[in-house]
Amino acid sequence: MNASNPYIPELATIVETFDETPDVKTFRVVLQDPTKMAAFRFEPGQVAQLSVFGTGESTFVICSPPTRMEYLQFSVMRVGELTHRLHTLKAGDPIGLRAPLGNHFPYRDMQGKDIVFVGGGLGMAPLRTLLLFMLDNRADYGNITLIYGGRTPEHLCFKDELKDWAARGDMRVELTVDNPGTDWQGRTGVVPAVLTELAVSPENAVAVTCGPPIMIRFTLEALGKLGFTDEQIVTTLERRMKCGIGLCGRCNIGEKFVCVDGPVFTQAQLAGLPQEF
Amino acid sequence: MVARFLKETDLAAITAAWARDYRVLAPVREGSSIVYRVFSQDMHPFLGRPPTSSAKEALLPQTENLFTYKYRKDQDDLTRTEVFLSEALPPEPTLILGPRPCDARGRHLLDRVFLERGVIDPQYKAHRAATLFVSVACTSMQNTCFCHWTGGAMDDETGSDVLLHPLALESASGFVAKAVTPAGEKLLANLPEATSEMLAKLDERKAQAPAPDNAPALAGIAESFLAVFDDLDFWTDQSARCLSCGVCTYLCPTCSCFNITDENHGMSGRRLRTWDTCMSALYTLEGSGHNPRISRAHRLRNRVGHKFSYHPREFPEAAPSSGQSPSGLEFSCTGCGRCIRSCPVAVDIRQIVLDVLAKAKETAEAKE
Repeated sequence: MNASNPYIPELATIVETFDETPDVKTFRVVLQDPTKMAAFRFEPGQVAQLSVFGTGESTFVICSPPTRMEYLQFSVMRVGELTHRLHTLKAGDPIGLRAPLGNHFPYRDMQGKDIVFVGGGLGMAPLRTLLLFMLDNRADYGNITLIYGGRTPEHLCFKDELKDWAARGDMRVELTVDNPGTDWQGRTGVVPAVLTELAVSPENAVAVTCGPPIMIRFTLEALGKLGFTDEQIVTTLERRMKCGIGLCGRCNIGEKFVCVDGPVFTQAQLAGLPQEF
Repeated sequence: MVARFLKETDLAAITAAWARDYRVLAPVREGSSIVYRVFSQDMHPFLGRPPTSSAKEALLPQTENLFTYKYRKDQDDLTRTEVFLSEALPPEPTLILGPRPCDARGRHLLDRVFLERGVIDPQYKAHRAATLFVSVACTSMQNTCFCHWTGGAMDDETGSDVLLHPLALESASGFVAKAVTPAGEKLLANLPEATSEMLAKLDERKAQAPAPDNAPALAGIAESFLAVFDDLDFWTDQSARCLSCGVCTYLCPTCSCFNITDENHGMSGRRLRTWDTCMSALYTLEGSGHNPRISRAHRLRNRVGHKFSYHPREFPEAAPSSGQSPSGLEFSCTGCGRCIRSCPVAVDIRQIVLDVLAKAKETAEAKE
């Protein structure tokens, strides 16, 4: 963050872009000032405001982990004005970056526990940062399971990494799609059904979930039936944001602001807030 | 500090004198409204009624630059561009003439957001340091006024640098001018001292002003609001007339929500901060199409909740300078009544607050 003015972005350069899915593109970004890049610190789960000057700013999770600092990675779905513009940018183009913003995954509290990642679609982006962080600190965590689903095989993000993770041998990867098409070898069906079928144990475990609202709703239900308490379920919230520093007002839930008090919450924390999601 | 006297007929001259050192925002009549305009010699400041707009524009302009940017093509490789950013210019020293005590108390509530919540807003801080409030005490309460619900009063000095007390004398009409801060005292240095007769007359005038009705008991409002939060029928009923026009938020001395947008001209442009309104559906509309405040009921609920529940819960210790609220709570509302006065469909936040209290009581009793 700019120390004297939190509204002024740091200048950054896109070093690499590639398509994840038909509507998700990944951007790898470095700060233009190498000293600032070397000094940049963040925690898994924190977010950034990316600027395309002339179009505006939007919030994205930093989906690379703080253990891999050659670049900061963002995976962006093309949905609105800013993301349409962002998708036209290429390596070498300048952008602005305000980061790190928000809180982070409670990864210290998760040490020594089994971790169950439950993701849907681009909800895999925040999970990726934590998963890679844990794989880079593998001895600190128990069994790691990833249950990840998409509309079609094509809509799964991070496809090459999914294969690598499945081949590692020190974590379990269960992929599922709604519409398998012809060549799909994995599961068919929705994520909560896979969760139920695998009968993941809540014993000394934490579930981390992110995905579309409808998936979250049924995932919470399934986790509850498996015996997970609200304290054992961690999720991240989406909200429209502008300032990212708790001042512009729009991301409030009661007196909390998702941009500073979140985006990461336990289900127990969310249950204590006015129900306006 | 000594009280001084400002003759009504000298108002334009002293404003002109202030305008040599400050950008003066003065209230002038435009149609049926009274709005702040940058003072010029041909203007006649009008202090006879509370301005239609609040004084917050002096501290949080309706539109201001956060920074400007410029793209430049790389002359060696014309497919590449570089971008350069420039900080916004610092604010000019500003004097706002004509706020009422409810406006001046709004300064403290804006400070809560921009200086005390967490991240300090550098531009607000600069405006705050560069701005003086020359306020006008009220001589009567309009039927939309309820400053006494929130700890205010017709002659409350909180947040003002100078408070002008209107006084009609047989010899001359004008104002007993009281400096509240050292900066305010400097503004008044060339005025004659008020005589003891004037001060006696002022005390007499104040004593004759009718006391407002008792403020309702609001100590439980923050929790009562949360108790009726999920009763969407209640909020649908309360918001049935609301047009989502947002005038309540734009005229409010404490509503501080803002938008950030870019304005582009060719290869350069500016990033702007502009007032925003939680009454608009677009305010919370997400890229995916999801909107957590999909109806007017959700949005009106947020505004009432922010002012009377979220704010006192976020700032449970009311600052001593904020006046003594009869409820012991600090609200994000100074009771200026602009949202009631200017609402095209007569939504009355006082009635909503009373209805929340009644509904919460009714619900609690039904549970017993």
